Amino acid sequence: MNATSQRSTSIDPNLRLSPHLVNNEHTLKTMFERCSDVIFRDVTLQGDTKLLLIYVDGMIDKDIIQSVILKPLMYEGIPQGIGPIDSIAQMCDQQLFAVLQTKKVNTFHDAADDILKGNLAILADGEASVLLTNVSQFEARSIEEPSTEASLRGTRESFTETLRTNTSMLRRIIVTPNLKMESFHIGKLTQTEVVLAYIEGIVSASMLDEIRSRVQQIDLQGVLESGYIEESIEDTNFSPFPQMLSSERPDVVSSGLMEGRVGILVSGSPIALIVPMTFWDGLQAPDDYYERFMYVTMNRWIRYLFALFAILFPSVYIALTTFHPEMVPPKLMLSITGLREQAPFPTVIEVFIMEFMFEGLREAGIRLPQQIGPLVSIVGALVIGQAAVQAGIISAPIVIVVSAAGISSFVIPRYRFGYPMRMLRFPLLVLSGIFGLFGTAIGMIAILSHLIHLSPLGTPYLQPVAPTRKSKVKNVFLRWPRQRADKS
Amino acid sequence: MKKILLIFCLMLLSASSTGCWNLKEPNQRAFIIGVGIDMTEDKELEISSEIAVPAGLGSSQVTGAGKKNTFTVVSAKGKDFMDAGQHMQAELSRSLFYAHRQTILIGQHMAEEGVDRYLDMVVRNPKSEIRSVVLVVKGGTAKEVIKAEPTFDPFISTTLGSQQNALGMKPYYFRMLLCDAYSEGTQPIVPAITADPARGYVYTGSAILNKDHGLKLVGFLDPEESMYDNWMMGKQKKLTFTTQIGKENKMISLAVQSLKHRTHIKMVKNKPQIYISLHGTGSIVENNSPLDPSKDDDLKTIQTRLSQEAEEKVRKLVDKAQHQYKIDIFGIGEHVHRQHPEVWKTLKPHWHETFPELPITVSVHLRYRDPGQTNSSL
Repeated sequence: MNATSQRSTSIDPNLRLSPHLVNNEHTLKTMFERCSDVIFRDVTLQGDTKLLLIYVDGMIDKDIIQSVILKPLMYEGIPQGIGPIDSIAQMCDQQLFAVLQTKKVNTFHDAADDILKGNLAILADGEASVLLTNVSQFEARSIEEPSTEASLRGTRESFTETLRTNTSMLRRIIVTPNLKMESFHIGKLTQTEVVLAYIEGIVSASMLDEIRSRVQQIDLQGVLESGYIEESIEDTNFSPFPQMLSSERPDVVSSGLMEGRVGILVSGSPIALIVPMTFWDGLQAPDDYYERFMYVTMNRWIRYLFALFAILFPSVYIALTTFHPEMVPPKLMLSITGLREQAPFPTVIEVFIMEFMFEGLREAGIRLPQQIGPLVSIVGALVIGQAAVQAGIISAPIVIVVSAAGISSFVIPRYRFGYPMRMLRFPLLVLSGIFGLFGTAIGMIAILSHLIHLSPLGTPYLQPVAPTRKSKVKNVFLRWPRQRADKS
Repeated sequence: MKKILLIFCLMLLSASSTGCWNLKEPNQRAFIIGVGIDMTEDKELEISSEIAVPAGLGSSQVTGAGKKNTFTVVSAKGKDFMDAGQHMQAELSRSLFYAHRQTILIGQHMAEEGVDRYLDMVVRNPKSEIRSVVLVVKGGTAKEVIKAEPTFDPFISTTLGSQQNALGMKPYYFRMLLCDAYSEGTQPIVPAITADPARGYVYTGSAILNKDHGLKLVGFLDPEESMYDNWMMGKQKKLTFTTQIGKENKMISLAVQSLKHRTHIKMVKNKPQIYISLHGTGSIVENNSPLDPSKDDDLKTIQTRLSQEAEEKVRKLVDKAQHQYKIDIFGIGEHVHRQHPEVWKTLKPHWHETFPELPITVSVHLRYRDPGQTNSSL
């Protein structure tokens, strides 16, 4: 009845196998009814020993089954000389197969679980347990260049969907037994493996306990991406700012681990999470620590300024031109006025229209098939940029303001950290459209107080600037050479 | 959530109570970029405002129709500044906006009557710019100057400050007029221009206003006198001296870059003695005389001759101020106030009578730093 929502509900989870192969086969076949990809293979060894192999087609390495398991059993029989083995059942019991990982389970529930994870199950007549050999092999994407976190300098590797590939990348970078990888299975239906990676001795134990208990409390049907985990364990869902750093780069995760943070890797997701995150992490690029410190310092300042620009420019423009034109230099004010002589909409509405169009273009650009990509840019540039201005529907300064602010939000190295900047622009627009600079100031105060209030996993979001950590605050604004930074 | 809502409501209320509700699109405003204050024959105040017409500026692609003028001048009479503003507003479809006023021109007639009773608005009105350049129109009305079309800029109002800059002066802003008018002993020296039908608007020195008599016009200084006066007041950044030298009356010019001034007050038997020393260093930019600046003797001759000539002119200016205008245009009273505050208290009430009798010693030291690319002339 609930067969679709709960796996093997018809079977009691604790039901044990019986010594009779026929009974076991029947039960398992009932469990895997209408599962065309689950293969049952009967093997009879030397006329009398009956074996049953069960596996999921496409998830196991057939070569290994044939060469390591089937061939020796069928042609050479039970290996002799290592002591008396009477039956295949006994052989199963002693796990005498040339496969690395084998285990034995006694319940149907466990057996079915492992079969679905790509193990080969071997049942023998007369044996009330299942031997599971890990011969899983499935198609996986190979390691590619990071696509959303490109860097000029630094590794070209990025995580893949395969969890073990990802953990191996971390292991290759951090060579110490202190690098721990705690594993959890989350999701009733997906049983997704989630790994908490951290370096023992560096990570704060209380924070780790907190994360561990939060992960253990997750109650989800399925986990398809690390975003599920992020949403389930973050401190507050009601914040425009991301509280976990997400990265597809093993070097970024490793550097996080070495700073005493916890990495969360999720099977099936090439994006790892790093907790806790601070505001400044969102504005740092992966190659900040690879490039010469002077260039990086300059780039950081450019990013900080542009981040501020991205969030403030349209609303300050509205406030200045419509509320406080005395603050704009006279010549600039006159040319702005000259350009919007024929504008039919108030400035606020103009900015709103253009902001919506810009966000629409951005959203369209992400999901468009590559062949249609240029179309959007042509339509965007020509229709919205040029034609709207020439037709006198939108004034030219607005196009400049909105596109400048839009571009500045893309200067932020972490793409998802640009979202809060773009999103918060809208409430600020409303505020400054109603109250002028006063509204802008109120909006910024609200944003700042939210940022100060935010402390994911006990780490203040604006640290080390607020609260000020004197020794570290320098590193936010300057990237000092490493060996010198350590001394001072 | 309730808390957030409450905070938001409070913010809305506080915002509306501050009266910050003055949204006005730029194209609903008439930007006044210059203003002229005149007094008509019937002793009535006449304000002329130069108003920018943004459609005529730059953005040619927006306007399909023929090119418009860049500005328009609107004049109105009134009881005071803002009353005249009301009358001007009657002619305009956009509301007057005073915060971008670049220039305040005062007609000579107005200056003679005393202008201070009409200038309160400039300071009091929060929307009014106090960084406007102030000028007195010599021998004419502000109205005719403000209508002039300058060579480079679209508006005359924006050019007058840059003109003063180009002449090596610090532009004379309204706030400097305020400082001078509220100071202890300085009398405001306001730059003057003349509307010349052939040459446009020409800088013609400065006007002396008497702050003790309602900023009434006392007289004018010619451009050279103004230059020395500005030097003494620290308002001159650079200047070029040209003097005759030798028997054949050949000319030599020195472009002076770093101008320094020092006024020292010495009290002798409770009477102040004034020592003004002016220093300047520069480079010889033109030399038509047979003298060779690379020779020590010739150089000394040049420097002495230049200094002497300048000293002579400053002395004449001091004499003019002491005996013709009888007004302290050098800010000496201010120096006495600063250097000997205890004496100033007794001197201040009759400074007008004291000033013409003061012994003023002037010394000018001009030095060269760079003889130029060649030695003697061809």
